[in-house]
Formats: sequence, C-alpha cells, structure tokens
Amino acid sequence: MRSFKLTSSILALCFLVTMPLAAQEPAPPEQELQGVFAKKPPYSPYAGRHFPERVYWGDTHLHTSFSLDAGAAGCRLGPRDAYRFAKGQEVTASSGQRVRLARPLDFLVVADHSDGFGFFPLLFNGDPKIMTDPQGRRWYEMIQSGQGGAAAVDIATSFGKGAISKAILPVPGTVAYQGAWEEVIKAAEEANDPGRFTAFIGYEWTSLTGGNNLHRNIIFRDDGSKASLIEPYTTQKPLGSDNPRDLWKWMSGYEEKTGGHVLAIAHNGNLSNGRMFPIIESFTGKPIDREYAETRALRERLYEVTQIKGDGETHPFLSPNDEFANYERWDKGNLDLSEKKKPEMLEFEYARAALRNGLKLEQELGVNPYKFGMIGSTDAHTGLAAIDEDNFWGKISAYEPSPERATHPLIKTENATIMGWEQTASGYAGVWATDNTREALFDAMQRKEVYATTGPRMIVRFFGGWEFASGDANTRNPAVIGYDKGVPMGGDLTNAPSGKTPTFLVAALKDPIGANLDRIQVIKGWLDAKNETHEKVYDVVWSGDRKPDSKTGKLPPVGDTVDVPNATYTNTIGASELIKVWKDPDFDPAQRAFYYLRVLEIPTPRWTAYDAKYFGITMPPEVPMKGQERAYTSPIWYTPSAK
Amino acid sequence: MKLFREPLFHFLILGAVIFVAHGLITRHKTDKPGEIVVTQGAVENLLTGFTRTWQRPPTEDELHGLVSDYIREEVAYREALALGLDRDDMIVRRRLQQKLEFLSDDLATRTQPSDADLQSFLQAHKGMFQTEPLLSFRQIYFNPQLHGVNLHRDAARVLDRLRTPGSHKSEIDAGDPFLLQESFDHISPAELKNTFGEKFASAISALPVGSWQGPIDSGYGAHLVYVAQYTPSRLPDLAEVREQVRRDYLDARRREAMGKFYNTLLRRYNVRIEPPEEKKLGQVQ
Repeated sequence: MRSFKLTSSILALCFLVTMPLAAQEPAPPEQELQGVFAKKPPYSPYAGRHFPERVYWGDTHLHTSFSLDAGAAGCRLGPRDAYRFAKGQEVTASSGQRVRLARPLDFLVVADHSDGFGFFPLLFNGDPKIMTDPQGRRWYEMIQSGQGGAAAVDIATSFGKGAISKAILPVPGTVAYQGAWEEVIKAAEEANDPGRFTAFIGYEWTSLTGGNNLHRNIIFRDDGSKASLIEPYTTQKPLGSDNPRDLWKWMSGYEEKTGGHVLAIAHNGNLSNGRMFPIIESFTGKPIDREYAETRALRERLYEVTQIKGDGETHPFLSPNDEFANYERWDKGNLDLSEKKKPEMLEFEYARAALRNGLKLEQELGVNPYKFGMIGSTDAHTGLAAIDEDNFWGKISAYEPSPERATHPLIKTENATIMGWEQTASGYAGVWATDNTREALFDAMQRKEVYATTGPRMIVRFFGGWEFASGDANTRNPAVIGYDKGVPMGGDLTNAPSGKTPTFLVAALKDPIGANLDRIQVIKGWLDAKNETHEKVYDVVWSGDRKPDSKTGKLPPVGDTVDVPNATYTNTIGASELIKVWKDPDFDPAQRAFYYLRVLEIPTPRWTAYDAKYFGITMPPEVPMKGQERAYTSPIWYTPSAK
Repeated sequence: MKLFREPLFHFLILGAVIFVAHGLITRHKTDKPGEIVVTQGAVENLLTGFTRTWQRPPTEDELHGLVSDYIREEVAYREALALGLDRDDMIVRRRLQQKLEFLSDDLATRTQPSDADLQSFLQAHKGMFQTEPLLSFRQIYFNPQLHGVNLHRDAARVLDRLRTPGSHKSEIDAGDPFLLQESFDHISPAELKNTFGEKFASAISALPVGSWQGPIDSGYGAHLVYVAQYTPSRLPDLAEVREQVRRDYLDARRREAMGKFYNTLLRRYNVRIEPPEEKKLGQVQ
C-alpha cells in the first residue's frame, strides 16, 4: 500500500546531490598528441581517429532500497535490480507494476546514501541485532504491520536529529556496514560488462546540515579490488563530516591508499539555500580561499544540473532576459523546507551564476573553483532510472504511477508545500567517451566532455577554436573537423592569436525516437574590467525560416503541436538536425569568459499529461502539461593569457 | 541413485533432522500442555545470544530477566496459537511460507552442476545464449529540412550514381552533414535501434550485403546504406559463457524445485475456488 503521508524530512533525505570531482589530471586527449608527429594524413581516413565517436547515456545518481530514505518510502528494489533495469530488462517495481525502459542505458551508478547504508534491508529482514533494540524492533513492527509510511517518517526524523540508536545504525567499521558495501560492490561487479554496459561503484555523501543540500555523489573509476579496501565516507561525526573539505580529504586518502581514482558530483544547489556555490564558506563564515578553490576544481569537475528535484541551470531572478529560464523550478526553500528561500540565496545555487562567480573568483584567487562541466541524472529513490515523460516512475516508490501521485504533496511543512506534480521528469548524462568502460567513461567525465539532458537523447557536439569557418558546418562528419581545429565541450581556449575571435562549431541531432529541435543557443558569461560578471543568450541556429525580432532580437517561438488530452505531438515543426559555425560578436580578449550550449526541443507533453490521459483524471489548472526539453553542454572557457 | 539428487528428498530428510533435533532440545517443555520446562539448552541459547549482542555475558539479574522474558514469550506463543492468532495474520503466514521455501531453495542449489549438465542446458536453451547478430555498414544521410519533398528523389539520384562502377568519393560527399558516424562496425540490433530508431533497424537487417541500397528512413531523415558485413547469430561454446549458463542453470533448478515442491504438497489438498459473487448481486437486483 502506498502511503502519501511522507514528511519533508524523508524527502529531505532522499535528495542528496553530489558534485563530481576529479581524481587527477587525465591523460591528454589523443588529438593533443597528434600534433607532435608528422602531419601527412594516413591513407585510411579512419586511421588515427581516436576521438569519441559516440555518446554514452547513463544515470550517475540512482538510489535503491539500500538508501535509508528510499527503503523507508517503500523501495524494495536493490542495486542488482537497478542495474538489470538500466540494462533494459523488465522488472517489477516496488508498487507491484511491471516496468521497462524504452531503451537501455549504457551506464549506471547506484549511489546510495552512505549514512545508514544498508540499514533498511537489515531492518526489513528483521536482523537479530536490530530486533534486540527497542527502536529497531518498533520500526520493524510498524513496517511489517503496514505502517511503512509512518515508520519512514520516524526514521527520517530520527536520522535528521541524530537520534537513531547507535547500536543499530550501521556505521563504517561495523559488520553490517561492511556487508552492505560489499553487496553494493558485488552488484556492480556482476553487472559491469565492459564494452556493453558499465556499472560503476559509487555512493552518495549526504551532507544536510540544517536541511541545506550539499550532497555529492562519489564515483569510482576502479573495480571492487580497490573499492573494497575502504568504506564510504559519511557525514555523521566522529567518523564522517558534513563539510565538503573533509570529503575531499577522504578522496585524496582513498587515492593515496589504493592508487585508484574517485570523482565527486554535487547536485541540487537549488535546495542548498545559498550554500552550494559559496563565496563565503558556510562552515567558517570566511571567504573561500585558494586551497578551497584548488581542491574543489580538482575534485568536483562536474555538476548535476538537472534532476527530478528541479532544474538548476538558472532562475528568472538571475536571468531576467532569458525567456527559457523559468524551467521546472524548485525554489520554495531548502531540501526539507525547514527554511524559506530568499532571493539573495539564488546566486549561490544555480549553475550559470556559479560559472559567472567562478570567473570572478579566478581573478581574485588565481583558481576557478566553479569550473565544472554539466550532466543530468535522476536521483530517483525507486531503483528505476526511468525519467522519460511517457515512462516516469517518480522520485520515491510511493510516487510510482497512480491516479493520486500528482495531486498529493511530496514535501510539506509549515513553510511551503511541494506537490507531486512538481517532480521533474529529468535527467540523463551524455558522455563522449572512446569506449563503454569504467575507465573510458570516467576519464571523459574528468575532462568534462559531457552534457546534461532533461531526458531526451539528443546528440550534441560543441567545439571551440580560432579557425572555424562557416564551411566547416557542411562537412559530412563535423566531429572530424571539430577535433582537428578546436577543443570539445569542457575544454579551454587561451592565448588568443592577435586579432582573432573565438569561433564555435555547434551541432545537435534530435533523439531518433524523440521530438524535433527548436534551436541551439550559446550562453556566454564574462567578467568585465570592473570585475563585474555578465551573461548573454545568443540564438545561434534554429529550425525553419524564423527571423529574430528587429527590436528585441528575440527569435519567435517555434510553435506548438502538443495535443494535451491525448498526450501527443507531431514533428511537423522543428528540425531533425541543426549545425552552424558561430563567432562571438562581442569578444574582448582581455576578459575571462565561458560559453556553453543550450539545445531546445519543440514543445512536448509533460509527464503530467501522460498521467492525466492514462488514468483519465483532470489535473488542477496550475499543473503544467507541456514543456520544452533541453540539453546543456559543459562550457568551453576562454582565459586571457597572463600579462 | 537418482533419488539422492532429488531436492524434495533432501528436503524431507533435512526436515526430519530439524524436527528431531528440535524435539531433543525442547522435548520436555512440549511434553504436556500445562507445563513449561526451561531446559539448560534453552538457557545456553539465551546466554549465547546475549553475549553475541553485548560482547559480554549477562549479569545475574539480566539472566533472570532473559529467562522470565523467555517464559513469557513461550506462554504468549502457546496461548496465541491456541487462540488461533496466527491464522489470519499476514505477517506470520508469509514468514512461515518464506521459511518453508528457504528449505527447498537451499537444497535445489546445493549440488554444483557438472559440465555435462551445463552443456545439455545450453543446448536445451539455445535462445537464451545465442550471440547477437552483428552488422557493419556505411551510410549517407539526407536531411529532410534541406531537401523537403525531394528528399527521396535526391537520395535515389545519388544511389543511381553509386551503383555505377568506379570511385564514389563525390557521391559519398553528396550526403548532408550528420552527427553520427559514416561507418559502423559490428553493431548489434539493439544498438542499431537505439541509434537510428526501430524502423531503420528492421529495414537495414533485411538488406543484401555488398551493395548500396536505399533510401531508408530513420528518425533523422533518409539514408543510403552499404552493408559491408553481416555476422549471423550463433550459439557460443560452453567455455565462452560458462558462468552465465551456470547461473541460469541454477536459477532454473531452483524454480523447478519450487514448482515440484508445491505440486507434491498440493497433492495432499483438494483445492476449490468459489465462483465470484456477482451473480448473487444480479439476483438481488
């Protein structure tokens, strides 16, 4: 039985986000090395072509019953089920319904919360040690007698207050904890199938002080032989810490001890109440220093910009001139809604603003702490990485498809309510890697050759260089010239040749079974001579023969074919592919800048429209029924050479 | 002796052993309905349990508490059974079912299969282990936004030229820019479907090898396709897939044993499913 009586604290636990971090400098991409050797091209046009030819799709952030909150909220699928499902197999969801992905994923990270790791399976199975503890026994009995929802609330609340009996909560060093970690590793090892499917070992570090989300997902490049030498880092003192600086130390410790590599990916700055991308560290009240900037830049090279708990690219308050900024917004408060949002917090929560502040901090500190690439992931707590609009399985198991799920509160406190319909069916990570292996995907993440989508699997290429010419967009395989003349997404431009302006090869191909494309935009941010940051959105290439408005410069909307009652649309508008070479018309070689792409699809039905049609229900008028799904690439940065 | 490999046989033997052992430990207290005897064996059990949890033996008082808890538990257990409290309790029922199934489950997978077992399983379930067929091909893309209604005509014209002998560099270059590769090596049907969509995937798998064909539609537009190689699906040797076969074999044994187990038990019952009561409702009307 589903219970909708979930309090904010459960949800709060659910929503851990992480930031990627980089283990160490990846090897230079092959193409950088090519220049060292003779220039005459080989006879075979394919010889020596070592750049990534295809994008791999995955989710770096999925919870299973091993997460305290997921288990409490009804999730019964473990890591093994999660990997099976991601590989395209049909499984029975926790709600008893059969479910399958339209297309398998190429990789998956099961990232369960390290705090209380494996507690729920123990509890659910009536582990003797838990049964001897009054608190443990009480929860067991509540769950067994069908009061799982109430138990979940109690568990989550107790966890938040640090009031779970020390005797039963598995902490690092205990047999139960080690057992859970071994299970996680085993599940990944069994599912990992190099070349066909990558199952990463990982976990989520769930810093939630005061209900403010500072979560990071930790991903291992290594196999179980190294990962089993350590135990995940937690946030509960004295073994763990809620301060990211301590997490970074733990990461270094792992790498020194094992010779392995880990990265960290933060998420849901939108629920951090101004703490995700700080200028003043919340733990010390002091401005961040060079050490913070250096370590963060090294450890957290990616940011999870979009997921079920809202889209984190930017916010209308921060980007008032961006008509696409108001997308799947979660801005009522922090993660457990214990504190309301104030506008001044937003600047330190959203990716675009953080990229801007990063330029400023680089000017001051010499290092840019917020030089991150972008991915999307689900953060689903169901064991199901299912976020297609027509196949959306919700944030937690209690919100798997049902006639009521949209209209029940997901999180509710005296401060605010977040309704079920506010869940965002998003997102996935696209990774340009040379192979589908842990090593190749991990290295691609470290070099930021990745992008985020809100679900559709559109293919996006983005190259920056000094020599791209308009004809380059007409070559049969734009990637060849892209790598030849420039750097891919996540790369750097510097040392502007005198009188030159950055040029960009931008291209996107629709999802083969999805909607057509509306447009590709370049988002530029820069730091001016007065040390102030700015942003601008350029429409670069679009479908049809639309003309930008002569006054506002805005491109007219692409149109709308969505039939809400039937939850359908047609590809009679938009384009299947968009390619162009774009030159920055406002370039100043003295100013730091970043550029990233936003690719918009034509409007399509939102998951709420599919729900309404399937269940034959009428959604309340405030529920959005369609949207324009999108992709965000990792930026390319321009840095003036030191004078 | 086939009998000795029969899971149900193992189950019955093990069941008997447990029953006897249980009887030895607890015989006295279950002798008479109105009598509870706490044996030294039972006390030992309590002691061990406590010591394992707390990492020390119990004090006198604690031991006293443990024993009186045990007595209460026993009393409550017997009274509850007498009142039939176990009967309609979903948790008790499920738990008992689970315990019973565990016994059968465990036995089914106890004996490791021989190579001959695995080989015959592989032969009997070819479909589960067949490799995927693999396709290598080249493609030339035509963008519907650039060609409009002439999409197929323009593609067909290029196809005509491709089919004449000679070098075809200019024809190949006549395709439109495209973000996917021009050539794909050893791609599986599933990958093909994910990359180009279902329609394209099924069309291309029917094409002859070694010539340009098309135009074929995908989710992106139209394509001319040259299938260079088709590697059909085959049954791998046991050595290539031993682990997978072993897993599936054990899983099949487990299911089979469970089925037999229930069938055997069911022979002892007459099962009757009552018809739905809708008719009655109809009569009332």
